[in-house]
Amino acid sequence: MTTIQRIWRIKNTLLRLLSTRCLDCGFVAYPPKASCPKCGSRRLIKEELPKIGEVLSYTVINVPLRGFEEFTPLIICLIKLGEAKVLAELVDVKPGNVHIGMKVMATLRRSAKTLDGVIPYVVKFRPLSLGSS
Amino acid sequence: MTKVDKHTETSLRDLAAEAAFKALDEVGNEKPEAVVVGNMLSSLIEQENLAALIADHIGLRGVCGLKVEGACGSGGVAVLAGYSMIASGLYDRVLVIGVEKLLERPTPDTLRGLAYAADADYELIYGVSFAGLNALIMRYYMSKYDVRREELALWSVIMHQNGAKNPYAQLRNEITLETVLSSPVVADPIRLYDACPLSDGAAAVYITSEDWKKVSDTPILVAGVGNAVDSPDLSSRVSLDEFYASRISAEKALRTAKLDIKDIDVAEIHDAYTITAAVSLESIGFAEKGKAAKLWSEGRFRPGDKPTINPSGGLKSRGHPVGATGVYQVVEVAMQLRGDFPGVSVPSEIGLTQNIGGVGSNVTTIVLRR
Repeated sequence: MTTIQRIWRIKNTLLRLLSTRCLDCGFVAYPPKASCPKCGSRRLIKEELPKIGEVLSYTVINVPLRGFEEFTPLIICLIKLGEAKVLAELVDVKPGNVHIGMKVMATLRRSAKTLDGVIPYVVKFRPLSLGSS
Repeated sequence: MTKVDKHTETSLRDLAAEAAFKALDEVGNEKPEAVVVGNMLSSLIEQENLAALIADHIGLRGVCGLKVEGACGSGGVAVLAGYSMIASGLYDRVLVIGVEKLLERPTPDTLRGLAYAADADYELIYGVSFAGLNALIMRYYMSKYDVRREELALWSVIMHQNGAKNPYAQLRNEITLETVLSSPVVADPIRLYDACPLSDGAAAVYITSEDWKKVSDTPILVAGVGNAVDSPDLSSRVSLDEFYASRISAEKALRTAKLDIKDIDVAEIHDAYTITAAVSLESIGFAEKGKAAKLWSEGRFRPGDKPTINPSGGLKSRGHPVGATGVYQVVEVAMQLRGDFPGVSVPSEIGLTQNIGGVGSNVTTIVLRR
């Protein structure tokens, strides 16, 4: 389980989906890195990712980490957002209706309580078209 | 090595001692100058400082001691560290012990611990399990290469066939395709029988410099070693259908050994899940991308083939005491080369081990030869 310190520390990155773009080779990384994973350059700028993207892969987890029982079955996706990929939870959809290529958009949702008992909000994703839920 | 099992009656230090004494007995109990311990999660059983704990327990106070961690690849990294200590000229005799007890704590605690190999800030915050991360790779791979579920599941059947003959293996029952396909879904598309079990176990190897190889009647040469890391998170990876670190570490190990992948007779690879076996075989260079499951469906990699992969039964059947697994692999391949492995025997001159931490994020490859 996470802590309120962690949520507080990463809130900007997590809520705005801040990636790093390399000024030398152009590689976009999320989570943001201190140096470019591709060319090693430290000349990076923070860049907000688009909030609409598509599902690259997904899993439906029946045995999530302790503390996430209320979110089970937990749908976790790798989502293509612009030039980057993001791992996040998908909500407002039945597991059987998720598919690769599905268009999704970012939304703010409650997550599991932290060790300190605080209820954090994180970015999750939901289908862009409500008809597909 | 000890049998991989649920060792309720044996403590971590006694498991380590059993494995260490077997290795020491083979070299006439010649005292090592250093002990390197590979372990990932001893904090789960509230014990750190393992090098001191174990060295003291086995009568080696005063030697150099350190613990090495690289998630589920800790054992491989420990062997690499021990080898490096000798290659540097600092020591001539190093005892490397991999040890892990995953079955002492309740399963949810252990599963959470294993997930620590991933990115805590940006992945675990969503409650994703380690199986879940591998499931993302599996679905992507199956979709991209049009690989059928049944083809991947067959890997588990083959591993149980091999492991059934290995007295050190944890799961010695033979299974059918139906066993895999009807087992509970853990993280779709991964089912329980796609996954290795949780395990306790310990294994040890005694590494010497050239000058000291005579302490054994049947020394095996460490011909090459390689390690590479990748991002712990999946999302910033350049490629989702290859383990970059697996490829780099295998290339490095083969290059230092001055050997080619075609020279390998036997290999023990890191099949934590059926998908891990496929991606590893392709990343190491034993199969083309997207083709590994086709090849094993056609009968490749089984006993009698070159290379034979995982005659031990692999992580799936032998078991996966995470920080010990990389050392088990080295012991198993060394025994294959000596001709005294007690399970499926593969007559061989050259062998390879590959041990993976995280979802392909810390990978050690070791090439051994007679």
